[in-house]
Amino acid sequence: MKTPINKKMTHIQLINTFWVILVSLTLFSAYMAEQAKPGLTSILIMSLVLAIKGRIIVDHFMELKDAHVVLRTLMRVYFYVIPTLIILVYLFPEQIAKWTVL
Amino acid sequence: MNAIAHPARPFGAKPRKIPGSLAIWAAILAEMSEFAVMFIVYFLAKVHNPEIFAEGPLKLNTTAGTVNTLIMLTSSFFVVRGVIALRNNNRVACSRWLWGAVICGGSYLVIKYFEYRWNTAQGLETETNIFYGVYYYITFNHFLHVGWGSAAIVWVIYRVNTGIYTKNEHEGLLNIAVYWHMIDLAWITIFPLLYVIR
Repeated sequence: MKTPINKKMTHIQLINTFWVILVSLTLFSAYMAEQAKPGLTSILIMSLVLAIKGRIIVDHFMELKDAHVVLRTLMRVYFYVIPTLIILVYLFPEQIAKWTVL
Repeated sequence: MNAIAHPARPFGAKPRKIPGSLAIWAAILAEMSEFAVMFIVYFLAKVHNPEIFAEGPLKLNTTAGTVNTLIMLTSSFFVVRGVIALRNNNRVACSRWLWGAVICGGSYLVIKYFEYRWNTAQGLETETNIFYGVYYYITFNHFLHVGWGSAAIVWVIYRVNTGIYTKNEHEGLLNIAVYWHMIDLAWITIFPLLYVIR
């Protein structure tokens, strides 16, 4: 009888995988910085990349995925708000400048 | 009815885990707020000076920024592996992983120093324009965090090596670990804002 393959990753394998994902996203960001035409698409992509990286570190490196809900929520929300601000500032710079003073 | 007793937790409810201590999380949330203020300054300066902020990233050393991002992510990875090692009662492996994180922190500081020197050679200084003012304001602040964070990891390595931190008791290690991840989170936000988005 064949031994069933254990398909569940160990915790270490999961962390290793996340590191590879984070490095890949960073190299992709550098490529975007040098090659991509500035515009809404590149802004949306970079905001998404930031949100994903932040989520990985918050959930799996800080280990907040199974932690206290208040801490987890506060840290996750940070990486919803900042990417959203990046997009809003790109889309509505004149309106924001009108409402604010430097 | 006993008015003094606390209500019992529902059967099967998981304990509410906090990685590290409440004190370090108060510090982390305060620091995240501090960086949030810097990011808001960046956004406001950007909407009031769109051309300067469109041109600013073009003159920065994207290679240095990218390498430092990879270094910060790798240092966080090393810290996680160090914590896992101590949980598996392997003090030697924990220490090695943490030294890896310290080397990453030191490398970050060296690269940032040479990046600043490169900037100066290009004529990019704090008063060149508002973009570079914001760039130095944010990145130097982060530089300081990496410096004292790295020193804190060295302190934790000492406590791991002397057996003060053990498999079952290592809250101090967790405190520095989550603090270090916060420093990494700050940089992964800074990198696209200053180096990538044009």
